[in-house]
Amino acid sequence: MPQSSRAGSGTRAAIFAPLDGAGRAELVLQRLTDAIVLGVLHDGERLPSEAELARQLGVATVTAREALEILRRNNLVHTKRGRDGGSFVTFAGGGSTDLQDDRLLAWSRVQVRDLGVHYCAIAGLAAELAGDRASAADITNLERILDRTDAGIAEAARRGQGTFRLEVAALSQSARLVREELRLQAEFGALLWLSLREPLRRERCRAVQRETVAALVAEDGARARQLTVEQIMESVEWLIEAKSLLEKSPLEQKGSSAMPGTTSTPVPTGASA
Amino acid sequence: MTIAPGHTTPPTDASVASVTDASVASVADVFDPVFSRLERWVDLVESYAARSGTIADRAQFDFLVEKLVRAEFDDSNGCVIGAGFVSAPHFLGWHLAWWLGGRNAASQGQPATGIRHLETVEDPLEESFRDYTALEWWRVPAQTGRRHITGPYVDYLCTDEYTLTLTLPVYRDGSELIGVVGIDLSVDEIERDLVPRLNAGAVAATVINASGRVVVSADAHLATGALLRLPGLTELLSDRTLSITALGPDGAHSFQWCGRTGLAVVAGPLPS
Repeated sequence: MPQSSRAGSGTRAAIFAPLDGAGRAELVLQRLTDAIVLGVLHDGERLPSEAELARQLGVATVTAREALEILRRNNLVHTKRGRDGGSFVTFAGGGSTDLQDDRLLAWSRVQVRDLGVHYCAIAGLAAELAGDRASAADITNLERILDRTDAGIAEAARRGQGTFRLEVAALSQSARLVREELRLQAEFGALLWLSLREPLRRERCRAVQRETVAALVAEDGARARQLTVEQIMESVEWLIEAKSLLEKSPLEQKGSSAMPGTTSTPVPTGASA
Repeated sequence: MTIAPGHTTPPTDASVASVTDASVASVADVFDPVFSRLERWVDLVESYAARSGTIADRAQFDFLVEKLVRAEFDDSNGCVIGAGFVSAPHFLGWHLAWWLGGRNAASQGQPATGIRHLETVEDPLEESFRDYTALEWWRVPAQTGRRHITGPYVDYLCTDEYTLTLTLPVYRDGSELIGVVGIDLSVDEIERDLVPRLNAGAVAATVINASGRVVVSADAHLATGALLRLPGLTELLSDRTLSITALGPDGAHSFQWCGRTGLAVVAGPLPS
């Protein structure tokens, strides 16, 4: 049954989508940590029960339990007993910068670039197909989503970007592209759009979204693809710049974020295509 | 018979028109039985709603719908992705009595092992709450009082499947809208069912929705999900009162609505 989307709801579904491959406990932990640290799961939000989590992710209950235990130790969730009990996210977004920095440091440049390339392949082609396949009603819907997005704060802008990308992917009419978009957003989306911490980046993101809609209206799929790929690669370059600043920053600076735009360091200008 | 581009005899207007008629009939053959079952659900739900007076019990209601839906999943061959009843906000509150089949992207090719209830956010104050009354599968039947087919679209918040949604409005006392009943069908199953019925040689029939989006086509090179671009088509689709049936270059294509389903058939010479 088709359902209109609210920001982030599709990504949230993907967070709890089945995991495959080895090292599952690690993957469960990594996915949930990213989702909490990067704000996809809210402070105070109740997580599914161990059994439910295990069922949704397609892992053993003991694996889910293990992951939840580590999340508890890392003070990202707390568990309440009793009738209204369960595991709740305890992470307050305000103090998140340190943990976000840690996540970024954990990725190598090669990994960040490679994920960017993978995401470009998916989101770029989706945008190109959307240029051919978006109907007038689809365009109206996209514009409504843009109007509804509050680009004032980083968190809302990031969710808005996720929703926008997902809607564009859906316009491609390709179930595979949509599934891949969701998977990549769950794995990488929140990290990729860390640059939206900066007001200027948020404005730029919004401008690109509007330009993309204009390209779709003009049935110019090539332009929509170009805008998408450039936006992703710009964000990747920002991340790598931010990462290298973090790596250079002396230990005593830890606690005050060394991310570009939050220090006196000039903001990276990003990739020029 | 060898058919090579450029060597076929151009189809006559009469053959284009007869292919259109035959294709509209084929669309009815595929969708009418599903709508007939939905109509039976409407009757059952309406008689329940009449019995229960003004206060309807959600649990009792879900029990009734689940029974109907379960039979639907048992009968059909994996074509049904999901089915159920969606309540008008003033009837049972924001509520989807909706079930999904065992068949989904993760369990393709396996027999349906069971059905599961679709869990949705029913509190309008929750962030992920969705106002479904603004959506096509609700809005159109609510406005017209008739059956409607929504899609094809990728249902990314529910099953990730490429889907067609068939809905019918449900009324209490003949006038008060209390919800819609519906069935989600898989587009690839519809293709398997419908394409063989459309095949007609030199004239290709294409089934489109009210946005001009291709549902299935006998023209193998016309992709499902693409928008059919023919001069005059947009005008025809936006105004149901127009009685024009010829369109495209030289008026060589023929257009006909498939009853009041929201689907239409366009037939014309295969591009050489």
